[in-house]
Order: sequence, then C-alpha cells, then structure tokens
Amino acid sequence: MIFTLAILAPLAAAALILLLRRGASALALLGAGAGLAGASVTLARVSGGAYPSATLPGLPGLPLRLVAEPLTALLSVVVAVVGFLVLVYAVGYMKEEGGKARFYAEMSFFVAAMQTLVLAGDWVLLLASWELIGLASYLLIGFWFWREGIPQAATRAFLYTRTADLGLYVAIFVLVSRTGTTELSGTLAVGGTAATVAGLLLLVAAMGKSAQAPFQGWLQDAMAGPTPVSALLHSATLVAAGAILMIRVSPLLTPTAQLAVGLMGGLTIVVAGLIAVSQRDLKRLLAASTSSQYGFVLLAVGAGSPAAALLHLVAHAAMKSSLFLGAGIFQHARGSTAFEDLRGVGSERRLVFAGFVVAGLALAGVLPLSGFFSKDAVIAAAFASPYAPALAPFTLAGTLLTAVYVARTLRLLWRGEGEDEPVAGIGWMGVALAVLVGLAAVLGFAAEPLARLTGGEPPRDLATALLVLTLALAAGGLLLGWFVLAGRLLGPLGVPAEEGFRVAGGFDGLVARPALVLARMLDRLDRCIHAGVLGVGGLGLALARASRLADERGIDALIAALVRGLRELGGRARELQSGLVHRELLLAAAGAALILVLLVIGP
Amino acid sequence: MISLLQGMEGTQDMGGGMQMGRDLALLAPEIAVLLTAVGALVLEMLRLPRAALPFTVIGLLVATGLAIPLLGTETTLFMDTFRIDALSTWAKLVLLPVTALCAVLSYGEVKDTDREGTVYALLSLTALGALALAGAGDVMFLVLGVLLSSLGSFALVAYPRDDHSTEAAMKYLVFGSVTSAVMIFGLTFWFGATGSTLLAELVALEGAPLAAAAGLVAVLVGLGYKASVAPFHFWAPDAYDGAPVSVAAFLSIVPKVGAIFALAQVVRDLPQGAAGWPLVVAGLAALSMTYGNLAALVQENVVRLLAYSSIAQSGYFLLGVVAFGGSDLAVPSLVVFAAAYAAMNLGAFAIVVLVGRDLRDFVGLGRARPVAGAAMVVFLISLVGVPPLAGFIGKLLLFGAAIEAGFVWLAVVAILNSVLSLAVYLRVVVPMYGVPKEAPARSRTATVVWTIALVATVAVGLAAQVLLGSVA
Repeated sequence: MIFTLAILAPLAAAALILLLRRGASALALLGAGAGLAGASVTLARVSGGAYPSATLPGLPGLPLRLVAEPLTALLSVVVAVVGFLVLVYAVGYMKEEGGKARFYAEMSFFVAAMQTLVLAGDWVLLLASWELIGLASYLLIGFWFWREGIPQAATRAFLYTRTADLGLYVAIFVLVSRTGTTELSGTLAVGGTAATVAGLLLLVAAMGKSAQAPFQGWLQDAMAGPTPVSALLHSATLVAAGAILMIRVSPLLTPTAQLAVGLMGGLTIVVAGLIAVSQRDLKRLLAASTSSQYGFVLLAVGAGSPAAALLHLVAHAAMKSSLFLGAGIFQHARGSTAFEDLRGVGSERRLVFAGFVVAGLALAGVLPLSGFFSKDAVIAAAFASPYAPALAPFTLAGTLLTAVYVARTLRLLWRGEGEDEPVAGIGWMGVALAVLVGLAAVLGFAAEPLARLTGGEPPRDLATALLVLTLALAAGGLLLGWFVLAGRLLGPLGVPAEEGFRVAGGFDGLVARPALVLARMLDRLDRCIHAGVLGVGGLGLALARASRLADERGIDALIAALVRGLRELGGRARELQSGLVHRELLLAAAGAALILVLLVIGP
Repeated sequence: MISLLQGMEGTQDMGGGMQMGRDLALLAPEIAVLLTAVGALVLEMLRLPRAALPFTVIGLLVATGLAIPLLGTETTLFMDTFRIDALSTWAKLVLLPVTALCAVLSYGEVKDTDREGTVYALLSLTALGALALAGAGDVMFLVLGVLLSSLGSFALVAYPRDDHSTEAAMKYLVFGSVTSAVMIFGLTFWFGATGSTLLAELVALEGAPLAAAAGLVAVLVGLGYKASVAPFHFWAPDAYDGAPVSVAAFLSIVPKVGAIFALAQVVRDLPQGAAGWPLVVAGLAALSMTYGNLAALVQENVVRLLAYSSIAQSGYFLLGVVAFGGSDLAVPSLVVFAAAYAAMNLGAFAIVVLVGRDLRDFVGLGRARPVAGAAMVVFLISLVGVPPLAGFIGKLLLFGAAIEAGFVWLAVVAILNSVLSLAVYLRVVVPMYGVPKEAPARSRTATVVWTIALVATVAVGLAAQVLLGSVA
C-alpha cells in the first residue's frame, strides 16, 4: 500500500530518531521525502481513477479505514510538501539549537499524525489523529519549555483546542449512533436534524483548531515555539485541520449549518484582520492573518463551494509558510520578531525580502499571484450563494484588511535601520523559502485542474465589475497600509484589536474564570462535605476516646476491682481453711444441713 | 428385713444356678487388684521390697487388661448389688493404670524406707475401694467403697510419719469418720423407706420426700467428702500437703473419680420426682468450682494449689452428674473428662515431684528443663480447657451435657470459672519462664510418668475429637 507510506515514513523516522538519537535531521528529511514520494504517487494514481484504501483491525465491527480519494490525496500532498520544505528550512534554522533529536522526532510525528488525519476514512481514526496533532503541537509549541511563558503558551493552546474538541466528540456520537457505522463517507449522508446538529458541533471543533473567533486568542500565544513549527502549524497541520475537517464534511452540511459556518468564517475574517492590522510583532501579525484566511476557507464552505475552500487552503499553505519562513530568517538576523527590532531588515536582506514581498502580495490578492485566484474563487462563491447578502460583505472587507496589513508589514520591514547579525544555515532556509515562494506565486494557475480533480465545480469567473472592485480594494488597502499609520487607521478599535478582541476577557473570562469560580464553589462544597466527614471521623474518635476512657477508668478499673475482689475472696476462702478440724466439720455440717433444707422445701 | 430376704430369693430364682461362677468371671479385674495388693504385702513381708513395685505395676496392668473385654457389657452381679456398665468398666480402664503410675511415681519418694511394699499394697486396696464405688449398685457398696478407700488413704497420708503428715492424716481420719458416719446414718432412711438397699429400688422413694432428702444428703456428704466437693473438701489441702506428692496425686484422682461415678450411679436411679436433686448438685458444682479456683488463686504451695484446683475440677465433674437429669451426653462426658483429668492432673503432680512443692521452685523451669517445662504448660492449659488437649474436649462435653439438661446457667458459671482458672494456672506458668536458679535433679520415675501423661493428655484430646467427629 504505497499511499500509507505518507504516514509510515515520517512515523518510522520519528521512532528511529528517538532510538538512534543521531542523524536526526537526515532521518527526518528522509522520512518526509519518502512520505512526499508516497503521497505524490498516490495523487497520481488517484487522478488516474484508482482510489486505494486500507482496512486495519480496530474495534470489533468498527475497523479502522484509510482512504485515498482525490480530496484526501491532494491534501496529503500539500501536507507532505509543506512538511518536507519546512524540515529542509529547519535544518538551517535549528543549526545552533540543542535538542535536535526531540525536535525532529516531534516534527516527523506531527507530519505522520496529520497525514493520518487527512487520509482517515473513519471517525475513530480521525478522532485519534485529531488528538495526536493536538499533542504534537503542544510538545512543539513548548519546545523551549524552560523559557519563561512558554509552558503556559503550550498549555493554553492545548486546552483551547481540547475544549473545542468536545464538539467533535459529540458530533461523532451523534453521527455514529444515527448511522451505526464509523465510516466517514457513510455518515455524511445522514441528513435531517442530526446533520444540522452534527454540522454545528463539527463547526465548534473546527473553530477551535483553526483559531476562529471567538477562539482566536491561543494562536498568537502559540507563536512562542520555533518558527518552523509555526510555519507547519499554520499552513498545513494543526490550524489547517479545522478547515480540512469542514471541507471533508461539507456534503453533510444542511443550509442552516452552512449559514452558521459561513457567518463564523466571515466574522473571523474581519475580527482577525483587524487584529492583524494592529499587531506590533511580525509573528503575531501572521498568526492573526492565519485566522483571518481560514475564515475565508470556512466562508467558502458555508457558501457551498468546497472547491473554492480547498483552493484557498492550498494557496494559503504556500503563502503563509513562505511568510513564516521569511520571518524566521529575519528573526535570526535581529534576534526578535517585534517590528521595533525588525526595522529596516528588509532593505538589509533584499533577496529574502523579495520572496517575502511576493508571498505577501499573493496574500493580498494581487494579480497574477495565487492569492488573487483563490480569493476571487471564494468571493465568487460568496456572491453566488443563497446567503450572498450576509457573506459577500465579509469577503470584501477581508480583502481590504489583508492588503492593509500586508502593506503595513512590508513598510515596517523596509524602513528604518537596525543591526544585522550573521545568519547561520541561510542556504537550507533560502532553498525552502524559494520553492515555497515559487509555489505561492504560480499555484493560482493550477486552480482549474485542482478543482476538476476534486470533482468540484471550477470556480466561477467574477463579473468584470466585481473583478475591478476586488483589485481596487487590494490596491487601496496596500496604499492605506503603506502610507497611513495603523493607530490612525483603526481609531478607537486600535487598542482592543491589539489585545486580540478578547470578548469579555476572551477565553479567560468566558471559560477559564467561570470554570475556576465553579471549581472554587465545588471546592467549598467539598470542604463542607470534608468537614462533615471529618466531623463524623472526629465523632468516632471522640467516641473511641470516651470508650477508651471508659475502658481505662471503667472496665479496666472494674477488672482491677474484680481481681482485687477475687484475691480477697480467695483470702477469705483460705481463711475458712482454718486447719482446725472441729471448725471445718461444723462448716461441712452446716453445708449438709443447708442441702437438706433445700431438698425439703425446694420442690 | 423380710422384704430384703424375699427380694434376694427372688433374684436368685431369676438368676439360676450358674450365677456365682459368672459373677466371679466378670469380677476378675477387681480380684486381680485384690491379689496384687495381697501379693505386694506378702513380698514386703518376705523382705523383697525391690520386687514389690514391678509386681504391683504388672498386677494392676493385668487387671486393666482383664477389664478390656468387659467394654460394652451391661449387667449386674451379686443380685444387682454390683454393676458392670460403661461407668464401672471405664473406671477400671482409667484408674488402674493411674494407680500403677502413682506406684511408679511413689517409688522415688518411698524407696529404701521401711515397709515400702505396703505403700503399693495400700494404693491397690484404695483403688479397689474406688472401683467398688464406681460400680456400686447397692448402698452397701457405697459404704464399703468409701470405707475401703478411706482406710487405705489415711495410712498413705500418714506414711512419712513426721508431724506434718501425722497431723494431716489425723484430720483426714476425723473428717472421714464423721462424714462416713453421717452417710451410713442417712442411708438408713432410704432402707427404711424402700425396704431395700438396692439403688435400683430407689424408685420406691416416690412418695417419701423426707426420707429421700435425708438419704440424698447422706450420700452427698459421704461421696462429696470422698470426691472433695465443697463444702466437704476441708481435709483435702491438708492431706495432700502432708502426704507424699505421689500419694496426693493418687488421692486427687482415684478416689475422686470413684466417688463421682458412684454419685452418678445413685442419681441415675433416683426418681425424677425426687425433689430438686439436680438443682442441689448443680449448686454444689458451682460452689465447688468457684471456691476451688478462688482459693487456688492465693496459694504459694503448688501442691495446695493443685489441691484446690482438684476441688474446682470436682465441680466440673458434677456437671456430668447433673446431666443425668436429662442428657444422653452424661455418661460419655463423665468418662472422657475422667480420662482427661486423670492424665493431666497426674502429669502436673509428676512435675511437682520433679521440681518441688513451692511456687518459687518453679522459677526458670521452662529454661532449665525446657521439655519438662513445656509438658507442665501442656498439663496446666489442658486443665484450663484449651483445645485440642484432653481437658478441652472433656469440658466441652460436660458443658454440652449440662446445657442439654437445661442447666445453661451452670454451664455459664463453669465457663466463667474456666476463665478464672486460667489466672490460677498462669501463676505457675509465668514464673517458669523467669531466670532459672538451678536445674532440678533428674528423676527417672517422674519423667516416665509425666511422659506417659503427656502422651495421654494429647491423645485423649485428639482421639475424643476424632471419635466425636466420626459420630457427628
């Protein structure tokens, strides 16, 4: 089964790295390369019409399935390509870091888990891999676990996504209990209220993983990990998983669920876009941008066009990984990702900056880069959907906001002056960056074949007026971002946007604090019960003490008295034995007389 | 008198011509004992004291062997005056070996004294008296047995001929004379009321409560004295203390068991309506147990301690007598406890022969002579009634019999007394594991006796449990 190579090769690499503890980067590259080869061959086969699948023994009657369909095979290739290139980049990026074995093992494991998620043909396997990527990202975000704030960031990311995962669990219960099978494709035809409920629950899970509003907060904290981790996380694995889930279950979605998905996506486009505009840190800006772009993907799903969603997902994978890889190089050059420290880094490192600009302009939707095509597909889908009045404005606002923060980023990196440090391993990083930038530039031309491959409708061409409008929005946004300061642009929205629009204190206020209050109340209740139990115990102890006292003063004393009494009686008994025969005879006679009396009067 | 003669004629008529020969054959063990006593005396007169002990031991063992075929025989001899039954036969099987062992035990104390052989002769004769009591079917046998065993006992107690023993023997004699006289006097009421000396005729007492009561008091006084039941026990501690230890051992077992069995023979024939005799006997049992244990609690002399202990054990024995009012367990419980008591009491006295009379002599015995010390512990805890030893199963049967007969309160008193007796015997056991002064001199005869007693104590306990278990 060649298509399982996509999973097994990185997994074997992870195991070998942990066992051998040497040659970690080579093993990881080998594993990722073999995985990429497997995924590519599978995609070629699938495009030829053969859909390979594998069944593994799982729960009784519920086998574990892996299937390679056009959609999953394509996603598998995306994951493999990004994974491989990020690992190539990491060879340079991690050159002077310790803990290489741990890093490469976890990265390989991450890729393997993501491939499992992508290729999973049933809910059990999907759920398992869903959790495994959560675990892997927790480990990788916390890679520098000894640094201040990093364990908290990792824990926060893990808990946020785990909280939202509740939706996936319940959705799976609903689907499996209604259809009696765990096979993914079998459950998608359930229909009716169950489909609506399951769809909404899956949306919750996807929102958590893809950092959609109001769960957007964790993603910016997750930037604390190494930059290759961020690149992988944002473009092809953890954050993408939510969007991938929604694309895969799009046949399930009822109109109600579609509207909810679309609205949540639209809301996130605007909210996360505003956050991105206001950020003072490059990586945090990119993180907010990721949320916003996955908002586009979800909106496309909600608009009933999974093909457009897939296209934007793939294009975004190339664009965002390019941006992150570029940011990683800047980070190495300046020892920080804050814009304050990155001033002028673009003019110093012009080649890298050129790549960065291409990827950024692609993201902004500039013709003829990939973002232009994918974003236009989403906008077209939004205008074509029954909910166009609700969804279309979000896409237009999103286009403007994307252009604004891209331009702002470019200006901040280009202007000003700073001290550059020499960057080690720039070769590896540069190669990976170049390939990804190239993909980001040209992927748009592959839109039509991709859509045909996955069986979806090819994205409609936009009406000329609309085309002009989006291009004008992009250009206007770029100009605004370049020439107008963010503070002036956002006005009163600036401060809350910079803080990430933590609704009612964000996750902390909405979930953590109430949970803690509840926990504290329960603790108090528990203490009451505890006190009660202690009281019972205390009562028991008091009783025991009293009984011991009674034992000592009462029973022991009684026994002592008894012993004394018995000894006294014994002494008396001995006194009867006077040794004087006549007195003893008298006693015997008295006894005999007593017996006689008893016998006579007794009966 | 006329009715007596008529009765005798009637029995003879029923019995037939071969009566005398059959009776003598059934009486072979008693005859053997008598010949042993006479022979020992003759050997003494022939100045062959060395031969007297083996002769006595062999004679008594032969007598024991002659009693074995009688097991299971239920009959009467000499016109119903003597009974061959479970009680009398088991009395022979238990008491004759005990007598032989007492003779062995006494050898260490009386050898090379003048008239050594007379001790063995007197032991045999006293045992004969006890056997007469155990098989008594007639009041005359009661009197005969009491007198026979008493006379021998007096002489045995007085044997050392020092002040101590002479005084003890004197007290014993006076006490015995008075109680015997009371018994003989009281028994005449029964004869007057029933016109017969046969115990089997006691049914006729049905309408004469006063006479029945008077006779019963007489029997209780006479046999109570012999069995050292309180309050007719006063002679016992003095006599045991004055006599040689081996004689004390003998007195604490042989006449006592004989007297208890005799009392059982009497109450077995008492009419059920004859007053509250079970209640009176139960009262005596409770008194005897409690008094014996209490008095034993303060003794410093082990012989006197064991004397009071034997008074308490008489109380336990009486439980079996009480049970004749309504339990099938009465006879088995008496027999088993008699065997158990004989073994453990003899063993305890044998250790006393080895160690000494004073409680202080026992300090460190368990360390100086571990095996003998352990044996003493076994005897004493068997006297308490700890499983699986003989004393446990004997007491268990007695308590069961008493409960079955409706005397639950008596069983409760007996159990409480068992607890009390633990304190008594621990007074001996505890110092035994203190720091030893010096090991007591070895005594081959005592060792033989306590070894046999030890085996018997364990064996009786196990055998009785196996037998009872197979019955159950």
